[in-house]
Amino acid sequence: MFCVPSTETGAIMNITKGGLVLFSANSNSSCMELSKRIAERLGVEMGKVQVYQEPNRETRVQIQESVRGKDVFIIQTVSKDVNTTIMELLIMVYACKTSCAKSIIGVIPYFPYSKQCKMRKRGSIVSKLLASMMCKAGLTHLITMDLHQKEIQGFFNIPVDNLRASPFLLQYIQEEIPDYRNAVIVAKSPASAKRAQSFAERLRLGIAVIHGEAQDAESDMVDGRHSPPTAKNVAAIHRSLEIPMLIPKEKPPITVVGDVGGRIAIIVDDIIDDVDSFLAAAETLKERGAYKIFVMATHGLLSSDAPRLIEESAIDEVVVTNTIPHEIQKLQCPKIKTVDISMILSEAIRRIHNGESMSYLFRNIGLDD
Amino acid sequence: PNIVLFSGSSHHDLSQRVADRLGLELGKVVTKKFSNQETSVEIGESVRGEDVYIIQSGCGEINDNLMELLIMINACKIASSSRVTAVIPCFPYARQDKKDKKGAVERWSRAPISAKLVANMLSVAGADHIITMDLHASQIQGFFDIPVDNLYAEPAVLQWIKENILEWKNCIIVSPDAGGAKRVTSIADRLNVEFALIHKERKKANEVDRMVLVGDVKDRVAILVDDMADTCGTICHAADKLVSAGATKVYAILTHGIFSGPAISRINNAAFEAVVVTNTIPQEEKMKHCPKIQFIDISMILAEAIRRTHNGESVSYLFSHVPL
Repeated sequence: MFCVPSTETGAIMNITKGGLVLFSANSNSSCMELSKRIAERLGVEMGKVQVYQEPNRETRVQIQESVRGKDVFIIQTVSKDVNTTIMELLIMVYACKTSCAKSIIGVIPYFPYSKQCKMRKRGSIVSKLLASMMCKAGLTHLITMDLHQKEIQGFFNIPVDNLRASPFLLQYIQEEIPDYRNAVIVAKSPASAKRAQSFAERLRLGIAVIHGEAQDAESDMVDGRHSPPTAKNVAAIHRSLEIPMLIPKEKPPITVVGDVGGRIAIIVDDIIDDVDSFLAAAETLKERGAYKIFVMATHGLLSSDAPRLIEESAIDEVVVTNTIPHEIQKLQCPKIKTVDISMILSEAIRRIHNGESMSYLFRNIGLDD
Repeated sequence: PNIVLFSGSSHHDLSQRVADRLGLELGKVVTKKFSNQETSVEIGESVRGEDVYIIQSGCGEINDNLMELLIMINACKIASSSRVTAVIPCFPYARQDKKDKKGAVERWSRAPISAKLVANMLSVAGADHIITMDLHASQIQGFFDIPVDNLYAEPAVLQWIKENILEWKNCIIVSPDAGGAKRVTSIADRLNVEFALIHKERKKANEVDRMVLVGDVKDRVAILVDDMADTCGTICHAADKLVSAGATKVYAILTHGIFSGPAISRINNAAFEAVVVTNTIPQEEKMKHCPKIQFIDISMILAEAIRRTHNGESVSYLFSHVPL
């Protein structure tokens, strides 16, 4: 898809600029699959580093080759133990910073905590906290993929390149789903309608939107009804307010807006983790007459017993990319298929190292994607 | 500390309404421009140790108003006020919240995140707290390192629908693009009605976008809902689409009515029953030229947020209710 010069002939690293070092900050060897593929494509060796947990569960990083004056790329895929993953990355970044690396570029295909990117009531915006921590540790550039919300780029004070997996997923649809012309792209909630539309536009298909799953966003207990609060006696500026009774929000029945009868339904989303909502969507789509159901997502977290639930469900195939390792889940559920995206990450690394433009990697990507 | 309320020059009417509601006088401030167009601000009363609120909306001469706000914040800060809160009903540059934008020729991904820049500027000027309304993307809250209260116009919008559209139980809420689907479903759920959405489809390359309506609007009152309307091209096309799909009446409800360029003439020519906006941006002038524009007053939401913030009370009640 991208015309990447093959390693033998072309992709020669610009050694005069101080060179490049590629590290994986994972202590978990199953997470290193993607880094190995990237290194292979770039034709470089992985940098020598030891990342391990000490007996007291603290993470220790030992970098065993010089990084002074070099472009350091740290590839970190998120393992089951997400907080350890973050600590490993931060410690590694800081280690490189204090060892005088010229620039430290994080390659984090799946940005953890990206769903906690808005303030709900008095909750924390964890994505922002994480972004601040990474900047503080010494990261100078971040390469990531399909951020849950593109606005997360603004949480950082460093450049962020948000690559897209959609060209690979679209290619899969066109090559592996024989009757994809008879498909309809489905958003399993109104929040992912935008993404569905961007897929539908490029495949020239219709869309449908499902609505009505249990939404927890509004169910928090409403407080502050009494102003001033009844307990404390704070002098109010304004006369105290009489508050009308709160009418509880009715949970709407599941509705599908758009026609799926007699069609292949392709549910698209960015993350597939907890599969309950996908299963409910699949059930509804089957009832409405969809004869095949595919799920496409960039990040396949597939935690807890997701593989088993998918195996038993009406979903025919779940297609995810290898931003997150999911070998174990695949063994449990042959319905899970993987699309390799190491090519775009390695190309991004090559271009950043050589100071070339990245816009080629964003061609054919809609504004809504 | 006492509360001191200042108004920038962008939207004096709204500030006055907020002040009236709180039973306060607006603080004395003179904003003017030097002959070289530099903004000058003189705070006309003591703010030492006080809790200062500055109301300034991002509208009209955006850059002048932003600069004026920054200077006012800084003036109050260095005059030893205990806390400075910027009340920005319509946050400027909120649409420039991500790196990729559609350019004139091609899509490009080196657009500035100007909303983040504005956030940094406000913090650097000395703002301790921001109160705003219906941010274009709520993630903008995360662009700040200071507390941001993002108020919703939704409760006021729901109230308006119930009071002004007789047939609201038989209405359908429509999003003019796929991105607004979530906002629309929230309103549809609260009214217990259905929703539809319009998405753009390109059947062939090099062909103009075609609008496709997903959902059934036949013989119903269609209410288009979005967070802002600028040139109104999309919502006017959407209105035509809804009428041709059999909607009996078409309303549009938008939080921020910017209405620049050809917006007014487009609305006049479109099939709207009414275009309803809130007064986060002054609307009097536009209402003279376009009788279809109506506004919902949201000053009481801002006033109540200011009062509660000053008293250290919870603000979350305002996310789902209109204060009386």
